[in-house]
Amino acid sequence: MSSNQLNKKVYSVSNITRHIQQLFNADPLLRNVTILGELSNFKYHSSGHMYFVLKDDQCQIRCVMFRGSNLGLSFDPSDGMEVRATGDVRVYEKRGEYQFYVFQMAEAGKGALFAAFEALKEKLKAEGLFKQEIKKSLPKIPRKIAVITSPTGAAIRDIISVTLRRFPNIHIIVVPAQVQGTEAASQIAKNIKFLNLALPDLDFIIIGRGGGSIEELWAFNEEILARQIYSSRIPIVSAVGHETDFTISDFVADLRAPTPSGAAEMTIPDKESLLIHLGLLKGKLNRMMNHILELKRQQYFNIVENLKYQSPKNKILQHLQTLDDLTNRLNLNMKHIIGMNENLLAKYKEKIITLSPKAVLKRGYSICFKMPKKIIVKKTEQVEKNNLIEIMVSDGIISANVSGKESCK
Amino acid sequence: MNDKKKKVKEISFEDSLKKLEEIVEELEKGELSLDEALKLYEEGMEFSDKCMEKLNESKQKVEKITKEGNNKYHTEPFSVQNNEEDEKE
Repeated sequence: MSSNQLNKKVYSVSNITRHIQQLFNADPLLRNVTILGELSNFKYHSSGHMYFVLKDDQCQIRCVMFRGSNLGLSFDPSDGMEVRATGDVRVYEKRGEYQFYVFQMAEAGKGALFAAFEALKEKLKAEGLFKQEIKKSLPKIPRKIAVITSPTGAAIRDIISVTLRRFPNIHIIVVPAQVQGTEAASQIAKNIKFLNLALPDLDFIIIGRGGGSIEELWAFNEEILARQIYSSRIPIVSAVGHETDFTISDFVADLRAPTPSGAAEMTIPDKESLLIHLGLLKGKLNRMMNHILELKRQQYFNIVENLKYQSPKNKILQHLQTLDDLTNRLNLNMKHIIGMNENLLAKYKEKIITLSPKAVLKRGYSICFKMPKKIIVKKTEQVEKNNLIEIMVSDGIISANVSGKESCK
Repeated sequence: MNDKKKKVKEISFEDSLKKLEEIVEELEKGELSLDEALKLYEEGMEFSDKCMEKLNESKQKVEKITKEGNNKYHTEPFSVQNNEEDEKE
């Protein structure tokens, strides 16, 4: 062994490294090759060069993209992006490592996927699947909702927690489905169909998942799912990825939510504020009714007052007063009249007394009556000789016979 | 069942709330006879009760559904806490 070692040629590290380098350089496959992979460990050095790793499920390759090459990049590379990089695989002698020297890089699939997305969008739009007027409205107070998503993802957690916070007494049905991968679109579509058959009383269905790359969200851009959403009788809410992610599902769905938790915020009412609103309305209703009752009571009292004032009793009282008044005046007047007449009477009495024949008799006059009829004799012709006469004087009567008569002119 | 009865009484929360709001507004105008006001008040209270009923109608339930054929399925309680460590979809 030892003599063998002595005879064998010994190479320096540089010799071997250069040999390896030549092997690499001699292989045309490693010239101008395009590699598809996920960006990882991306570093944008202050020198302007980019250092990163491209990887797939099993392997990775170290990469560098020099300043001169990366100035023309049409996107900002970041970890997790799928890219299509073109360059040479060569050996970096100093470290004894092979590296991928990238001189061109594009977001992988972006172009093709984006084109497919746009094409499907145009097609479905032309068919009328996105029309606003066919969109179903959601009930304000949902009682039973279903969520088709991964049962283990962040999306379902967000949806359930936001929903129960806003409206605690609600029935949520979780429908497990893959949300990425080749089976995802058809699984979600089948579940929509199944729910329409098995649970037609659902208020609506949320389909969705958390954020991810365009590939990860791709299920929601597939035609099979779009058509199933369109034909669902139960309203569909699409809640895919982040605010900025738009999918075909979003366009077909009856409601597009920016995120899964946003879907719950938009569709589930806040019970607390509804209760407050209701309480206020009820209070107002009671206050208004009391107010109206008070008003009507006042009106009633006013009318009763008015009625009392208009009552015939009042009139009667008034008339009675008038009557009293008149009676008083009548009495007063009567007394006055009587008084006046009494005075007059006294006066007349006096007068009568002075005019009485008896008073005349006292002054020496007498009255002669022709008997037996006692007719006052005023003229001589009333009597004849021997007629019986009576002569009344002041203190009595003298009976006499006419002995003669003589008239004087 | 009492399906028919349910249908007659079936008025949505939104409609009930709207009716209640309209009634309050009508009472506020104060141009009503006592009979009309009392009738509206009664209706308002009914709509208010109806709203409360709607808000408390359903019960909290979180379930996971498993399909077992075309129309068949079974459900089991679903709890999010159990899945917390599993972030990836």
